[in-house]
Order: sequence, then C-alpha cells, then structure tokens
Amino acid sequence: MTATLCAFLVSTSALASPWWLRGTGASGDGFLPPDQAFRASAQVAGSEVRVDWEIADGYYLYRSRMRIEAASPDLEVGPLLLPAGEEVHDQYFGTQEIYRHRVVARASLRRSDFGAHPVEIKITYQGCAEAGLCYPPIVKVLFPDEAPVAPTKGPLPAASATAPLHPPTATDEWFAIGAGLVAFLLAGLLARRSRGSARIGS
Amino acid sequence: MNRAIVSLAAFAALGATAWFALRGAGVHRAAPPAAHPMAVPAGEASPASPADRIPEASLVGGPRIPVDLPPFTLTALDGRPTPIARFAGRSLILNFWATWCGPCRQEIPLLESVAKTPADHDLQVVGVAVDHRSAVVEYARRMGISYPLLVGEDDALAVAASLGVADPAFPFTVFTDAHRRIVAVYLGELQHPELQLILGVVRRVNAGTLDLAAARTEIRRGLEHLEAA
Repeated sequence: MTATLCAFLVSTSALASPWWLRGTGASGDGFLPPDQAFRASAQVAGSEVRVDWEIADGYYLYRSRMRIEAASPDLEVGPLLLPAGEEVHDQYFGTQEIYRHRVVARASLRRSDFGAHPVEIKITYQGCAEAGLCYPPIVKVLFPDEAPVAPTKGPLPAASATAPLHPPTATDEWFAIGAGLVAFLLAGLLARRSRGSARIGS
Repeated sequence: MNRAIVSLAAFAALGATAWFALRGAGVHRAAPPAAHPMAVPAGEASPASPADRIPEASLVGGPRIPVDLPPFTLTALDGRPTPIARFAGRSLILNFWATWCGPCRQEIPLLESVAKTPADHDLQVVGVAVDHRSAVVEYARRMGISYPLLVGEDDALAVAASLGVADPAFPFTVFTDAHRRIVAVYLGELQHPELQLILGVVRRVNAGTLDLAAARTEIRRGLEHLEAA
C-alpha cells in the first residue's frame, strides 16, 4: 500500500495551519476529520432503530467496537445487530471484522414514556484509515428520525418482542379532547342533578 | 353520595385531560435535530476529544503547532514522573500511539530499529502512549520495546494539544532538532523511506548545514516525491 501519509510541517511563521487539514502529499489531501470519514445517522422504524454509517473510501470501522445504548429516559435499546464484516488479521488482536463503504445495523427499541421524550441513542464506534491512521473511539448521541420504514428483514433479538413504538396520532388527540369534554359535561349534569335533589329534599 | 360521585368524575376528567395534554406535548417535542454530536466523555477508556480538554487558545483559529517543543512531564512505565527535559541535547522522535491502534503497533519495530542503531545515538525515540497504563505495560513487555515510554490519558492528551494536535488520531510523530525546535509533525504510520528522509534532514539541521525553513521545505518536497513514486 502506497503510503499516503501526511506530514505537517511547522510553517515559517510562528504558527502552522490546522494540523489535519494540512497535507503535503502530491494530492494535497490530508486525512479526513472523523465526522467526515464516518457519517452516522439513525432512524426509528416501528419497534427498532436503524443506524447507518457511511464510510469514506479508504477508511474502515471495526465491528467489535460498535455499540449502542439508550440515552433518553424510559428507553430500552437491545444489542446492535450487525451484518458480517470483512475479516482481516491483526497480529495483536487476532481476526477482526471490519466494514468499508457502508454498514447498517439494527437494534430493538422499547419505550415506556408514552412518547413524552424524544428518542435519544448513544452510539460508539472506532475506525481507521487504510493509509495508517486510527481515530479514537467516537461517541455520539443521535436523535433518530421517526419515519415509516419498510418491515424489517432478518432476525431480531428477543427484546424486540416488546411493545412497539406507537406515537399518538391526530385522531388520538381529538379523541382525548372529546373524552375530556364529555367527562366535564357528565360532571356538570351530575352536579345539577344533585343540587336539584337537595332542593326537593328540603 | 352524589357529591362524592361528582368530585370523582371531575377529578377523573381533569386527570385524563392533563395526561393527554402531557402526552401530546411529548409528541410535539419529538422533533429535535437529526444528530447531536457529543464528544467522548471524560473518563472513557479511550482518548477522546472533548472541547473542555482543548486549551482555549486552540479553539480560536484552530489548532496550532508551536515552534519549540513545550516542556511537559508524563509518567514513565515504572511509574516515575519523567520530564521531557530529561532527554535534552538530542533530537527527539516523539511517537504518540495507543495499544488499540493497529498502525501504531505496526510502526513500533521501525522506531525500535532507530533506537537500537548506534549511528543514531544523536536521536532519542520516546513513545507517548495515550492509553491505559496497564495495557501499555503489558504490550511493552510482550513486544520488548526498549526505548523510553511515557504513558498518560488526559495528561497525554493535554501534551498533544500543546503540540497543536488537540483532537488526536494515532499515530503521530513529532520530530525536533537538538534544540527542541519542532521540525515536523508526521500524521499516520511511518514507513522506512519517510522516516529516513525526515531523519536525514534533522541531522543536517543539527549539523548546521540547513536552517529550519529550508529543512521544512526539503521534507515537504521529499514526501511529495515519495508519495508520487
């Protein structure tokens, strides 16, 4: 592999340019900042969350270093379900699985807050550049988009057999308002009737 | 009796309305930004880049590489605080690495060969492991690393930040001349040709046959040439 490494030389002035935007390679490109090398996004679909990593060319993520956990109250997130990765051999860590280009993972989701909080998840991942640079583990909190998504394929963990996420619809809300009005009406009627009975009794 | 029923109904109605109102509020609040970046929290196992660790000066105008190597002290493998001034008088090859970083581990034999070459006695390789101490001790023992190793987590990150590398990826290597002026900061895994190129230039700076500006130009051109080859 051709070394496409970057050297960051101190400029002739007292201060140099930002370190990882400066490359001296023929291409003039340095290494990408981690958020450009690995772009993570998430989407809630029914009772699961899908996390999508887009991985820049020349970069990869380690399968064993990807994690998910709940970050909002009353939320339970199952383990991250990842597809098989490409096997590489590491002298120190043995066989490792990595992902290049893109990987989509899923995890079951269970909410018990009746929609009172936005879904918030924390993901951890770690990757490297093939040119010989590794980024420290990256931890991000994401608010997944809630969007209708096609039914899931493949197995889900046991935790997925939990209550699905059902955000209330507009119909639900109108029903609630109607129920409240009816309840007040009934209470009023009962109050009037009790006052009437009291008068007859006297 | 009737009064009790009325009270109960009123409370039930109020409760139901409040519950639905709160539920509705939750739904309407559920439209946050698609992603809210969060840096690795302090205390995580691995090095991270929280903004609160970056000196204020580097947040304004971006990270900066100083001209001279700033003084610092980190812990050696034996647990003793070791100031970098201890290696005064020689050119430093300060290699920042971590045990979880594959390219870092791969370049260690190359650094080890420099450390063991008698002709390179004017050069001092110092490893700065940004990692858990126990992991570094175990790795150094298994791999037989002979050059001095300093270890740190937040303190090592602070050293990296003082060198202009406030949001580090690994490995990166800082080359100084014998007067602790920084000649180059090399990001990524070092290979033999690149290392020899930089060391050759550093020697000429130490010999007084090349000034710093010319040295930097020569390294830059040399690396471009190597990459194009």
